[in-house]
Amino acid sequence: MDWKRFGFIALIIIVLFSVVVMVGQAKQPPLLIVTSMLATTIAVATPLTLGALSGVFCERSGVVNIGIEGMMLTSAFFGWLGAIYMFHIFKLPPSVSIVLGVVFAILTGALMSLLHAALSITFKVDQIIGGTVINILAVGLTGFLNRQLFFGATSVFKGSVPSSPGVLPTIHIPITELFASACGTSATCLQNVQAINRVFDQKPIAMGAVLLVFFSHYILFNTRWGLRTRAVGEHPKAADTVGINVVFMRYANVLIGGMFAGLAGAYFTIESVPSFEPLLTNGRGFISLAAMIFGNWTPIGAWAASLVFGASQALLINMQIFRDVIPPQWSFLQESYIVGLTPYILTMFILTGIIGKTTSPAADGVPYEK
Amino acid sequence: MKKLYFVMALLIVASMILSACGASAPTAADCTKEEVFCVGLVTDVGKINDKSFNQSAWEGVQKSNADGVADVVQFIETADAKDYAKNIAQFGDAGYDVIVTVGFGLGEATDAAAATYPNVRFIGVDQFQAETVAGVSGLNFPEDNAGFLVGALAAMMSKSNKIGAVCGTDVVPPVWRFGEGYKAGAAYADGMNGTTTEVFVVYHSDVGFDKTFTDPEWGAQTAKSMMDQGADAIFGCGGLTGNGAITAAAQAGAYAIGVDTDQYLTLPEAAPRMLSSAMKLITPGVADLIKATKDGSIADGNVFGAAGYAPFHDLDGEVPAEVKATMEEIKAGLLDGSITTGVPPVKP
Repeated sequence: MDWKRFGFIALIIIVLFSVVVMVGQAKQPPLLIVTSMLATTIAVATPLTLGALSGVFCERSGVVNIGIEGMMLTSAFFGWLGAIYMFHIFKLPPSVSIVLGVVFAILTGALMSLLHAALSITFKVDQIIGGTVINILAVGLTGFLNRQLFFGATSVFKGSVPSSPGVLPTIHIPITELFASACGTSATCLQNVQAINRVFDQKPIAMGAVLLVFFSHYILFNTRWGLRTRAVGEHPKAADTVGINVVFMRYANVLIGGMFAGLAGAYFTIESVPSFEPLLTNGRGFISLAAMIFGNWTPIGAWAASLVFGASQALLINMQIFRDVIPPQWSFLQESYIVGLTPYILTMFILTGIIGKTTSPAADGVPYEK
Repeated sequence: MKKLYFVMALLIVASMILSACGASAPTAADCTKEEVFCVGLVTDVGKINDKSFNQSAWEGVQKSNADGVADVVQFIETADAKDYAKNIAQFGDAGYDVIVTVGFGLGEATDAAAATYPNVRFIGVDQFQAETVAGVSGLNFPEDNAGFLVGALAAMMSKSNKIGAVCGTDVVPPVWRFGEGYKAGAAYADGMNGTTTEVFVVYHSDVGFDKTFTDPEWGAQTAKSMMDQGADAIFGCGGLTGNGAITAAAQAGAYAIGVDTDQYLTLPEAAPRMLSSAMKLITPGVADLIKATKDGSIADGNVFGAAGYAPFHDLDGEVPAEVKATMEEIKAGLLDGSITTGVPPVKP
């Protein structure tokens, strides 16, 4: 475990939160601010975490994947489209349509990654170019189909976007119910418990992402599959001599990575907002690559790095909510474009290598030639 | 290896073709003729089907086509802010008579193109003309009035006395005026009813200008964060980012307030909780100016369109009669000038 790295990440998040609490306590109780920011942080970090996990699986097996952005965008579109088709054309109940939408998104991610795998493993194409192809293809494909299906009187849905079957519901963790009795008659105590409860009341993909982080860690570092994956990413020739099928391992891990990216896509259109807009991923696939590198190609590290990006967005939102109570000597923070710089400044700060070097898998990006 | 290059080439060409389909080039070649009246529209980086701003302007152009004013209408979607000039030039070179450029972001490119194509009438939606440029008519709207109206409505309807607005970047004056108008409207309603309403206004001022209006997930998260802190009415002002906020608010059961057009009609997911929308009557504004161009009655400089608020639709029963009456009073007051928002045209 890389404690220095995690300590540094925790420190950044604590600093971000403290700044907001210091400013905002004139308006809201600190506990409410912290819990609200935590809830935002976890939700915002979800697609970044899943994207970073996608990168971890690909790159640990030796395939560079910069096409995560494109995979997310395509999955977001087809997941949403699948849900709408199931709901409107096949008349399935909304809940079933939504779940099938998630399945479609994951399959789309897998298909896109199959393309990447074929290009980079079988055809031994430069993997950066392969990823770029996927990113360009995704923008064109989703934009084109979105136009053909939904826009203009001659389109399939006659120019109106049919209402989607909705989004995944929030899962309620009954903390309030369990601890309400301990509060007795104290109203503030009950409010505090409810505020804390809000952090844990997340939607299924956000919760699933956290579980998948630890699951991925277990797979990569505690199973035979993980050992083989890392072996083909570090020294494929050595792995081959002991009888590991390098091509199969790489294909399988790139496909797993694609499914993670697909789930991240589903987050956008099936969990967060029930509609698709062209280019809606807005570079989050690339941010997740940064998170993966900062997390030193480990699932837990990548998750922690994603949380930093989530926290900086929470800061961005809350500093504006508390704009009126920012002390006059800090008045430059009232400008939305100055707080808007936070994620970028943090990224630069982080990538200066202040917490030590990150090491990529040795055979990352190198096609295997027997 | 040969096979490999073939596969790669095929893939790249296929992706290029698909991407290119996004921007359809003007087709009609007869626009150079005197008797054919052609209107071209260039969008901002938001899409033509953005369900608000670009779409309403395009509907105005289509209306002029349906009314028999324009013979040929065509649009080009801008994918990247660097392409503004190039996209305008496509219409200019094809001999179009009117080019509508939608959005504050295209202001500079429009002024530059007006010098290159002196025979073309440029209509710049949301482009405030600080100085008159020959050939350019800036179509502006009193966004602060529209924001004022929905701000007052939100303040009167809020039970928690906390309301929020999620907007695109405040670098764009119309967006800033919506936000400031919203605050002023809430303060006005407070003054009338003796309430104290807290107003959260958050702008998405990202480094990349194009991201600020096209990020529904950001809008949704911001709206949720506001609702976590007690807000129960959310005004989404800023393209797709705002749409995300509106949908998230509707899903959480808060009041959702749209922008630019009556978004009850354009966001079916949010329709049941749409309280109203701060409307800029872009569609009639654009159509009127195109007609004026054909008549020859159009002038350079600023033209002002109308603003208002959308009907309550499904929530009509929830809005008390007094609130409805007050809203009409405020609207009339803003029109005759007895109520002013106190918001300057550009951010000081």
